[in-house]
Amino acid sequence: MNVLFSTLLLVSLTAMLIFAPAEAFPTMIAGVQSAITLSLKLLAIYAVWLSALKMMQATGLDKKLSRLLRPVIKRLFKGESEDAYDNISVNLSANMLGMGGVATPAGIRAMTAMQDGSPKATHNMILLIVINATSIQLVPATVIALRAAAGSADASNIFFPTLIATSVSTFSGMIICKVLSLKKDKRSDKNGALALRFEHKKSDFCKYISKMRRAK
Amino acid sequence: MSVFILPAFLIFLIIFSLVKRVKVYDCFLGGAKDSLSLVKSIFPYVAAIFVCIELFRASGAADKLADLLAKPLSFLGIPKEITQLMMLVPLSGGGAIALLEDIIARYGVDSYIARCAACVSGASETVFYISAVYLSACKAKKLGYAIPVSLFCTLLGTVTACLLCKFM
Repeated sequence: MNVLFSTLLLVSLTAMLIFAPAEAFPTMIAGVQSAITLSLKLLAIYAVWLSALKMMQATGLDKKLSRLLRPVIKRLFKGESEDAYDNISVNLSANMLGMGGVATPAGIRAMTAMQDGSPKATHNMILLIVINATSIQLVPATVIALRAAAGSADASNIFFPTLIATSVSTFSGMIICKVLSLKKDKRSDKNGALALRFEHKKSDFCKYISKMRRAK
Repeated sequence: MSVFILPAFLIFLIIFSLVKRVKVYDCFLGGAKDSLSLVKSIFPYVAAIFVCIELFRASGAADKLADLLAKPLSFLGIPKEITQLMMLVPLSGGGAIALLEDIIARYGVDSYIARCAACVSGASETVFYISAVYLSACKAKKLGYAIPVSLFCTLLGTVTACLLCKFM
């Protein structure tokens, strides 16, 4: 982001220096001004939406949704620990509801539960990233609210197109990930696979031990 | 039909909360409080990206780049105005919202371009941010095919959104 920001600024400022040097500074100030206006608008939107989310958390509705997702998640992410499944289901259900604040910490915890100790991300970890990065939000609340604030005749009529578009991107992501992981598995040698399996068993064992200790 | 979804959902939520004996008023207070800190944490990003966008556009560089990309993308049915948004969405969520706001103000909220832009930003995520943050606590730093696959699928979603907005 740093590189991108600097390049963009440098390129545009150089262009402005040549074509309209007097405009450069006022343009930057105007930019921050519109940032402030937008932030105030977002503040209003978040205040309403976050309170609805608070209600969902307090009533346990979010947990119920994550339990619904559980069987699907077990199919998708094969061979992970219970702890990982818990965090993945919280992560995905929170994301569906647009609760980024809840989804992110759960996602980080799921990742640490799934890692196998090597510097390369496992197939399941990549799958979780792709699912998150292609957005599985059910209600694009911020966008709908922005449209409503701008005086749209029917602010939520983008609901179905968005839902279909995001399903297309998420499902194609899942399929591509699965295909790629199958291919890579074939290529990897037997010893590597065996060692990996052994590592899995070992980490399962370690988790079991630590769970026993905690239980005491 | 879709006009009813949000209000109906809220009514259901409030009734459900009353049944479960959750304090609705307290929830609202908590939400409003959280929104303040959330906006505070995203404001720097919004400000930075706004300065960047304003300069990028005022200098005329944005038009040039969008022109360059517009031709190949128009084959896929993506209008030229959406190209800028498409480039920004994987980088910054706040920036994408900022640009969406700008597009709405320019083309009118119910125009095809603005609806298309709304779908595109509603159906995509900040790919780079997510992969950086999610792996922040892990030893594993090599992402493999995660980012190219995510970007490609986001493009697929964008094409779908542009197509659907023509009919729906």
